[in-house]
Amino acid sequence: MPEPDQSTLARRKDIIAAMRDIVPNEGGVIVDEDQLRPYECDGLMAYRQLPMIVVLPENTGQVAAILKYCHTHKIRVVPRGAGTGLSGGALPMADAITISMMKFNRVLDIDWDNRAVVVQPGVTNLGITRAVEHKGFYYAPDPSSQIACSIGGNIAENSGGVHSLKYGLTTNNVLGVEMVTIEGEILRVGGKGPDQSGYDLLGVITGSEGLLGIVTEVTVRILRKPETARALLLGFNSSEEGGNCVARIIADGIIPGGLEMMDAPAIKATEDFVHAGYPLDVEALLLVELDGPKVEVDYLIERVGAIARECGAVYSRISESEDERLLFWSGRKNAFPAIGRISPDYICMDGTIPRRRLAEVLTGMQVLSQRHGLRVANVFHAGDGNLHPLIMFDANQPGELERAEAFGADILKLCVEVGGVLSGEHGIGVEKRDLMPEMFTEDDMKHQERLKLAFDEDELLNPGKVFPTLHGCGELKTLHAREVADKFPDIPRF
Amino acid sequence: MTEVISPATPEQLREAISWALGSKTPLEIIGSGSKKTYGHSVAADHVLDLSKLSGIMFYEPEELVMSVRAGTSLAEIHALLSDKNQQFHFEPGNFPGLLADGVTDHAGTIGGLVASNLSGPRRIKVGAARDHLLGFEAISGRAEDFKSGGRVMKNVTGFDLSKLMAGSFGTLGVMHTITMKVMPRDEKTRTVLIACDDIESAGRAMTRAMGSENEVSAAAWIAREQVGMLGVDIATGIGAGIVALRLEGPAPSVAWRCEALRKLLADIGTSEELHSTNSHVFWRSVADVAPFAGGAGILWRVSAAPASGGAIASKLAAETGGKVMMDWAGAQIWLQLAGRDAMADKVRDIAVSYDARAVLVRAPEDIRNQMSVFHAEDAALARINARIRENFDPEGILNPGRIGQMLTKQGDA
Ligand SMILES: Cc1cc2nc3c(=O)[nH]c(=O)nc-3n(C[C@H](O)[C@H](O)[C@@H](O)COP(=O)(O)OP(=O)(O)OC[C@H]3O[C@@H](n4cnc5c(N)ncnc54)[C@H](O)[C@@H]3O)c2cc1C
Ligand SMILES: Cc1cc2nc3c(=O)[nH]c(=O)nc-3n(C[C@H](O)[C@H](O)[C@H](O)COP(=O)(O)OP(=O)(O)OC[C@H]3O[C@@H](n4cnc5c(N)ncnc54)[C@H](O)[C@@H]3O)c2cc1C
Repeated sequence: MPEPDQSTLARRKDIIAAMRDIVPNEGGVIVDEDQLRPYECDGLMAYRQLPMIVVLPENTGQVAAILKYCHTHKIRVVPRGAGTGLSGGALPMADAITISMMKFNRVLDIDWDNRAVVVQPGVTNLGITRAVEHKGFYYAPDPSSQIACSIGGNIAENSGGVHSLKYGLTTNNVLGVEMVTIEGEILRVGGKGPDQSGYDLLGVITGSEGLLGIVTEVTVRILRKPETARALLLGFNSSEEGGNCVARIIADGIIPGGLEMMDAPAIKATEDFVHAGYPLDVEALLLVELDGPKVEVDYLIERVGAIARECGAVYSRISESEDERLLFWSGRKNAFPAIGRISPDYICMDGTIPRRRLAEVLTGMQVLSQRHGLRVANVFHAGDGNLHPLIMFDANQPGELERAEAFGADILKLCVEVGGVLSGEHGIGVEKRDLMPEMFTEDDMKHQERLKLAFDEDELLNPGKVFPTLHGCGELKTLHAREVADKFPDIPRF
Repeated sequence: MTEVISPATPEQLREAISWALGSKTPLEIIGSGSKKTYGHSVAADHVLDLSKLSGIMFYEPEELVMSVRAGTSLAEIHALLSDKNQQFHFEPGNFPGLLADGVTDHAGTIGGLVASNLSGPRRIKVGAARDHLLGFEAISGRAEDFKSGGRVMKNVTGFDLSKLMAGSFGTLGVMHTITMKVMPRDEKTRTVLIACDDIESAGRAMTRAMGSENEVSAAAWIAREQVGMLGVDIATGIGAGIVALRLEGPAPSVAWRCEALRKLLADIGTSEELHSTNSHVFWRSVADVAPFAGGAGILWRVSAAPASGGAIASKLAAETGGKVMMDWAGAQIWLQLAGRDAMADKVRDIAVSYDARAVLVRAPEDIRNQMSVFHAEDAALARINARIRENFDPEGILNPGRIGQMLTKQGDA
């Protein structure tokens, strides 16, 4: 992380006083070490740092005033939602104010006619569905953390979930945001209609990991809950066959509501934990959910079953009741805690690959597992090619955390090598920022930084995240268009 | 004197932009020029023509992904996709007819399509071009190569610059390679047509349909006088304005939803059904805005929250005397005016009073250049947009003026 700025630290008292002026509410400014402690990390608990102070504003005006103050006095800011992020995006800094958005917890407007809901960013992902389910609607993106994570954090990470294959990621379901820039300006981007003017700022704000501004209001679209959902469990003797089956289903024009896969270690761990009735003698287990009108679901279940047989499925079960469907899911949904039971610690990686390279990547992971001497289990969003390898280790054994991290980095490099990317849904944060050069050239990264500089010239918002450490935007500011020769002889002219 | 530069490789493209940068020569960037008359005129003597920068890099139908050079014609791409029974899910329209600039024998390039981020009727379900652009490679106004995204379906690796490029009208960088998500064609398509002459009732019917479980993938309203332009006899035979609602998917599901929808809207008017072929012809015409193609009249596009579409369209028609058509369940309203008066203040006032935006799509050049074609942004947004533009193209050499003064570096053009 960037070195703490001593002059900021020296001004801590003044800063606290200024924050108390802006947010006079009880508990709005946290300064005591024991009360700061809960904020020292997000879901990536290997990295910890106490924030300088934590501020909990309650309205957009307060956010604007805080940011304006920080901009004027050159104080760094770390935005924070529910702190469930898995890439360290909300990791505090010793010289920065952490702004927690969790007091922004109201649903502001449910517009049934436009199928749009306006909420404050601290509302949880599931909270949106809860607000609209009595009329048969729901909010589609469903990260496994949906009970806890905030919609503001979802926007910052462009979060996805099981439903993303069919219904898209956060970016496809957000209609508009209100956002405060580091200069304290309030931007409204998008709205209840599909179009915005100018460049697609809504598109770049989504997934920007708190580096462009603080989101203070969100408009999302809601969908009608499908009439029926049914699931199939399909077992295969190899991950190759499982992977082929995924490709065949999709190439056939069937886009399931969920299409998840688990490898043998993950199947075993979850079956021991939740007893979902998973077969233990298969190498790959697919969980396919079809949703829609009952006639459609019944029809597609047949077709998927037939495709699975052609792909060599050795196990096949179809849910006959809602309870059974939920039982099928219980294993997948509990995969993380199940791994937690068989290993003192684990880290969850997150890369995406072209679907057809799946078997190859899984084999590669086994080789790496032996090389690093650590176990790995795989549960993933097979339909999108989004992998979540769970690397098991024991933090109490000297060197194991480092080995786990090195293993994780090797897996991500492998993903990039086969044409994939470093993150499918958890973001880069601090966790993967030094791997960015695996995917991007200097010039690629400079263009990303130029976007950042258009919003935040002094790099006060969430510094140290996303961009490799030795790669601040600073030097860009003096960069001038390079002079070039005025000849390009080999291009045809007319 | 106008000079046309036609690079055939990314390297040549970089060289051309390096030269333009070094000599501060503004460039007008065109794919095939099918939209030269949309937006403002570009203040540049030199044309950077990308039509030679073409070719399919890879197409993997099972992976639902295609990567092509930006100058590849949509005709070639559509042919290739349809061979594999696939499509761009956002069903791009074909606009030469609409823009009536004399260019009618081509359907544009993929680069132009992405750079304008415009999409067809299915937008209400699957989004616009931006939502299907997986990645790109480009040369920025700094003559530097840059890329973002990739070829996979899920990606949060760094900022999503693909979104920035989609709809940027070539003002940030010139894309040379574009990777798109493609989708299989649906097994079955049907369209429910409901007789309805009243614009506001049509808006309400679309809202009700969209709020139902029936997964409507397109919803439009066409006035009685325009139905004949769609090329589908069954539609014309209704003899009234029509609300059209499309259902797609597996055959049994489509049949079932069709029934459900007709029941749900029985109180609005009598209904008819279009089957696959007719549906395809019908929605292609809607995507191409066929009712207003070919004409020379001024054409506006108003973009709104869907449920306000009926009220806006009816007010626009009443107060301007123009002809209207609604797509995107009311979120997109087309307004064609007779004569040379764009009635900009009136159209914009009506739009803004509903928190909607109005863009002047077709008008003689002198009219377009006298006013802002696009919706004016508020000052804070405009400042950010201008800074982005400056950071990517500091000398303002890429399409200066194309999307208005707001985004053009001061002192240029
Ligand atoms: C009002 C309107 C609505 C439209 N609606 C739809 C629609 O709903 N669905 C749909 O699919 N199509 C729509 N189109 C048309 C569609 O975008 C065209 O068919 C498109 O493919 C034209 O490509 P072109 O190469 O002819 O574009 P051009 O007119 O040559 O270029 C369009 C713009 O893109 C820029 N540009 C072109 N290539 C590049 C590149 N490689 N890198 C950066 N910038 C580039 C140009 O400078 C220009 O600003 C619409 C067009 C208009 C005018
Ligand atoms: C058990 C578990 C399962 C998970 N499963 C999934 C999953 O299936 N899919 C998935 O995508 N993710 C998953 N996650 C990761 C995490 O839940 C998501 O990334 C989530 O979006 C983070 O939301 P948050 O509110 O906790 O954000 P935080 O962790 O507080 O912050 C995340 C990032 O968002 C920024 N931020 C937060 N609020 C704002 C705001 N209002 N304005 C601007 N920036 C802001 C922060 O600066 C930070 O960079 C999982 C996490 C856990 C612990």
